[in-house]
Amino acid sequence: MRKLLADWFEDRTGLSGPLRSMREEPLPAGPRWRYVCGSALLAILLIQAFTGLMMMTAYSASSSTAWGSVFYIEKQMWMGWFIRGMHHFGAQAVMVLLFIHLLQVLFAAAYRAPREVNWWLGLVLLVLIVGFGHTGYQLPWDQKGYWATKVVTNIMGGAPVLGPYVKTVVVGGSEYGNQTVTRFYGLHVGILPVLLAIVLGGHLALRYRHGLKPPADAADVPPDAPRATYFPDQTFRNSLVVTAIVGVLIGLVLWEGGAPLDAPADPASPDYPARPEWFFRFLFQMLKSFPGRLEWVGSIAIPGALMTTMALLPLLDKVMPSKLLHFLACTLAFALAGGALFLTIASFREDAGNPSFQEARTKADAANERALYLAAHPDFGIPPQGAGFLLRFDPLTRGGDLLEKKCLGCHRVDGKGTGDQSAPDLKDFGSYAWIRGLLEKPDAEAYFGKAPECDGMTEWKKSTKLDAEQLDQVAEFVATFAKIPADQSVDEWLNTPGVADHPGNALFQKDCGKCHLIDGYTEGGVRDAPDLFAWGSPRWMKRMIRKPSEAGLYGYLEAKQRMPAAPPDDMPESDVDMIVRYIKGDYLKPAAKP
Amino acid sequence: MNRRDFHRLGTIVLGGLIKLAVAVPAAAFLLNPLRKPGTAAEADVFEGLVALSQLKVGVPESFGIVRDQVDAWVKYPKEPAGAVWLVRQPEGAEPAVIAYSAECPHLGCAINLADDAKHFICPCHTSAFDLEGKPQNFVPPRPMDRLDVELSKDADPMVRVRFQRFRTLAEEKIPLA
Repeated sequence: MRKLLADWFEDRTGLSGPLRSMREEPLPAGPRWRYVCGSALLAILLIQAFTGLMMMTAYSASSSTAWGSVFYIEKQMWMGWFIRGMHHFGAQAVMVLLFIHLLQVLFAAAYRAPREVNWWLGLVLLVLIVGFGHTGYQLPWDQKGYWATKVVTNIMGGAPVLGPYVKTVVVGGSEYGNQTVTRFYGLHVGILPVLLAIVLGGHLALRYRHGLKPPADAADVPPDAPRATYFPDQTFRNSLVVTAIVGVLIGLVLWEGGAPLDAPADPASPDYPARPEWFFRFLFQMLKSFPGRLEWVGSIAIPGALMTTMALLPLLDKVMPSKLLHFLACTLAFALAGGALFLTIASFREDAGNPSFQEARTKADAANERALYLAAHPDFGIPPQGAGFLLRFDPLTRGGDLLEKKCLGCHRVDGKGTGDQSAPDLKDFGSYAWIRGLLEKPDAEAYFGKAPECDGMTEWKKSTKLDAEQLDQVAEFVATFAKIPADQSVDEWLNTPGVADHPGNALFQKDCGKCHLIDGYTEGGVRDAPDLFAWGSPRWMKRMIRKPSEAGLYGYLEAKQRMPAAPPDDMPESDVDMIVRYIKGDYLKPAAKP
Repeated sequence: MNRRDFHRLGTIVLGGLIKLAVAVPAAAFLLNPLRKPGTAAEADVFEGLVALSQLKVGVPESFGIVRDQVDAWVKYPKEPAGAVWLVRQPEGAEPAVIAYSAECPHLGCAINLADDAKHFICPCHTSAFDLEGKPQNFVPPRPMDRLDVELSKDADPMVRVRFQRFRTLAEEKIPLA
């Protein structure tokens, strides 16, 4: 039955003949380790294609979903980290093998007749594979991918004449977004693979046409040596090497626990320390030597001249002495490899000795860790607006940023600020510790020491007769104000159990109520002072941010001494909410590590 | 075993190992949806839909179920997840309210109330049920799926329903994860 089927198949396709001739290709000089490189490259490319196909079943290409789907692959799906890790490290293995393969062919002078066309096809494959590398690692649309896209497309845009048009077509407009991701995805999983299949098909067909280039010592093989064929003698060596490479890849995946995923793309993060993959580092470093308008020399002219030179090798071979050309080409290859190594090391060393890079990297790592934590948290998750909103909806990240940008020019948080302090420290604002500190020493820098116009508390402190225990009670009482719900009136609050009979209540009414007017509760009037009802609660803080000139707040101060109001145009409600929640510590916190 | 046989065997074994190293994780990757996500806790949540006094005895009324939904990696807050039919029973009957999933046990279309308000029909393949959820033709494989109902302790109790999905086409009611 099996024979019947095999015969039928052979009759209809005639495939077994060519296949058998490939298997039984004679190896006159026997199997060689130096023949494994191309096969290993092919094997890893197949693994790339396969793991890539797997991820296509889970990846979602758009600027709002890409990061989330990669997060899902990496952190939630069964073996997702393994599949993605293999693809990630496989890509790097391809780069290494490609480089070795190229050098090997160059050293063996296999660009010479009759293999010229195959040499050219190989160079095309080199460009295609570099294209795979570039289009692939931005697909997660994380910080790394986003900034890499910008840099690469701007390099395209810097090319003379056609550059800007090419860039617009590739990016899908002038803005980086959904269409950018879909276009790079289309390139990575559609256009480039088709081109690769065609060119690689040609490359392999020609390799079988010309056979493997026999080594120089092939003639020395004794005529009575055992006859070797491609299968199994060479395939065994190939399998051993591929097994070793796959073993290393698996080791790297296990060691790293998958592939890296940076925080979601954030166009508004000027301090993100963007760096390319290690195998592009020398190009990255080289570009630093070509300032401004000369950038295209480094990014286009030099690589272009290099590729042209390599492409011309078979033709130069006809007009120059072969040996001299080969010597020059190999010397050039060594010089370039040395140069690339030098630039790569220089780039890493520069970063290692650059404190501001380290600081930016630390910050980026913290943002990354936070994004992954929030995405995985059942109470948070990735919002429908997209992963870019993950950190924008997080009071710790967004509130902290806004506070730093909008408030810390005057205020401080735990002594840290960006300008000259002229307002209190906001650390624990509204808490018992804050109010107790104020009652102890109102003219401390953390309170009103830097705001001389708010000297009412300082004067009160000189005249008050409250002792330490009574101050504790008042502070405890005032600290409860922060918990007053947003919709509660003064009357409702006073009727809440625990308010009227609080030990600090009477003290507050008598000692603080002389200045601080709370409608229906304290009289005020001795001096101007803010209304303290719901002080330290989100509603009070929001009023303070929106309209500090209200009569119940600091309206009594001269305009130039008041805190500037934040109008809704400048700061939407959601931003105010983020700042308040940041100050109140109202955000998800990872469980303390023991 | 001679050298060539060793090479032959080695090629096959190593090649097989390499293929397994990617095929096994790939199989797990593709089969990921079979792994039940942690919705078991969610399934135990009763959702308040309407005050009992708002329901008329014997008149079916439909209510949407709105809940936080996690669709693979995206968390959608308060999204419509499905619908239920509530039928209030006469005074003194136990339970006071019957809740049916509006998902047809045949192929999952939304069951609607017929124009005469005396029976349910499914607009897709004409499944028909009476107000007790019993099939009135041979299209549906089983009666309409009843859902757990409880009444809150308020003076005018809230009707609370535990929304669940069940396998379609099965003759038994088999909850989905």
